[in-house]
Amino acid sequence: MTPVLETTGLGVRYGRTWALRDCSLAVPRGRVAALVGPNGAGKTTLMHTAVGLLKPSAGQVTVRGEVAFVAQDKPLYDGFTVAEMLTFGRRMNPRWDEEAARDRLGRLGIPLERRVGRLSGGQQAQVALTLALARRPALLVLDEPLANLDPLARHDVMRAVMAEVAAHELTVLLSSHVVSDLTDTCDWLIVLNGGRAQVSGDIEDLLDGHRVLTGPAGLAEGVAARTRVVAASGSGRQATLLVRDRPVLDPRWSDRRPGLDELVLAYLRSPGSAALPGPARQGVGA
Amino acid sequence: MIWLTWRQHRAQILVTAGFLAVLGLLLLGSAVEAKLYVAEHAPPSCPAGTAYCGDLDVAVALGERYDAVYSLFGWMPLVLPALIGAFWGAPLLGREYERGTHRLAWTQAMPVRRWLAVKLAVLGGAVVAGGLALSAMVSLWRPVFRDGIDSTFGNIGVFNMVGVAPAAWWLFAFALGTAAGTLFRRTLPAMALTVAGVAVAMFTLVTLSDHYAEPARTVLTGTVVFDEPDARLVGATWLDPAGREVADPPSSVCPRRVDAGRSSRNAEAWQACLFGKGYRYAVSYHPPSRFWRFQWTEAAILTLAAAALGGLAVRRTLRRRA
Repeated sequence: MTPVLETTGLGVRYGRTWALRDCSLAVPRGRVAALVGPNGAGKTTLMHTAVGLLKPSAGQVTVRGEVAFVAQDKPLYDGFTVAEMLTFGRRMNPRWDEEAARDRLGRLGIPLERRVGRLSGGQQAQVALTLALARRPALLVLDEPLANLDPLARHDVMRAVMAEVAAHELTVLLSSHVVSDLTDTCDWLIVLNGGRAQVSGDIEDLLDGHRVLTGPAGLAEGVAARTRVVAASGSGRQATLLVRDRPVLDPRWSDRRPGLDELVLAYLRSPGSAALPGPARQGVGA
Repeated sequence: MIWLTWRQHRAQILVTAGFLAVLGLLLLGSAVEAKLYVAEHAPPSCPAGTAYCGDLDVAVALGERYDAVYSLFGWMPLVLPALIGAFWGAPLLGREYERGTHRLAWTQAMPVRRWLAVKLAVLGGAVVAGGLALSAMVSLWRPVFRDGIDSTFGNIGVFNMVGVAPAAWWLFAFALGTAAGTLFRRTLPAMALTVAGVAVAMFTLVTLSDHYAEPARTVLTGTVVFDEPDARLVGATWLDPAGREVADPPSSVCPRRVDAGRSSRNAEAWQACLFGKGYRYAVSYHPPSRFWRFQWTEAAILTLAAAALGGLAVRRTLRRRA
């Protein structure tokens, strides 16, 4: 299936420093992709490039279909009423579902005549999301959609996104640095680190393809030699390895499937490791 | 898109229109009152083309009325462009960047190019229309008081309120503010730069305007007073009997003594002595007939500068860098 978002060798440079470098990844249609990485990893830069706010310095980015974007601080015109924000959306976009937008805001209990600046943070996030969804985009890009929201509002926003994905042919790319927010909603994972894509793939496949091995520290080296270790940690006599293939193990070792946050953390701790599709990039052990 | 431009900038548009309306009413009232006064006090046979009908009392009364209103808006040639630049230009892009709303406006289906083009065209057009309206009102009001006394050429403040000068100044200030908004990406510093820029530009063009044309030259004998109140003086110098320019005639020709207090007796005696020895006094100036030449020269300079600044703002907006 042709991906909705695809980057090849994408690089973005601010002055002499590269915020994004040689970044190749793809998000297939209908996926909800989580873009994770530490601050400064290039998440926002990647998103701004995808929505056309930034021009790539190298490589290219392709979006198949209309893209809608909600920036990190959910910008809206404070002096506009909610109804005027809808007029803004209608006049700036030839494809615009006014009925769905009004319906959505009605269900959320957001009054149309109220000024945007007087709405709560959660309501502003919902208005920004409504504006993006009313465009019926093929790709919805959300930069930290849950930042600065209370737990209830986080839940509401994620539920709204999921409902939209279920109802329409929508692909979503959303960034977060809180991995636990994403566990239930996302089915695709992209890990960015230091401006490079480190992991890109289906979350279930990634979790199935990795194991967490725990055993005596003295044997860790021998085990590591027979598999591809992403990250290793240990305390005293106990060693914990996150590996890509499951080797034949000594009975003194235990072995389980990693959690999503465990997997993300392991990759972020070992910038040299990568799990990317394509033969050239398959599994570079640390 | 025109709706959006109106919605985002209606405060500036309404305040400017309101100001022009109030000013128009003030000028209209003042002109009507002056006409009534002249009709009542002027001698029966009033020569055409003079506001004061050759009557000295009427001339004085009109002068007082003119000065009263002029003191109200004598600051307008400098302050109005500064305000236009600060409140129409600087927020246009500066505020979008400052609030992060450029990430909203520039990620809609409407291309950024068109968003910017409509905003610049609509607001730039409104600014030019406002400047022309100001010019028209002042041009209709002023002759009621000053016909037959002076034109709008000699005083550079008045000159900048009539003809095409206000429109050119307003457009320049608007473009300067817009460009400053893309440089700072914040409204307040952009406003400050705009106000400073307008002041510097005004000072520069006042200095430069002497060179808009080759000055006319007239040679006086017997007096150093150039009897053309409406001309712009550029310079004056003494000519010796051979016709050479001498900045300072040597004291060996005519001894000069310093005047005490307010008296100019010694200076006049010195001048009379020089004229008696064959010296002449040359004055270079621009006659009022050059009004439109100066208006168009100034407008061309300002419009070119506005285009360059507007181009800079467009380039910085469209290049899509963080």
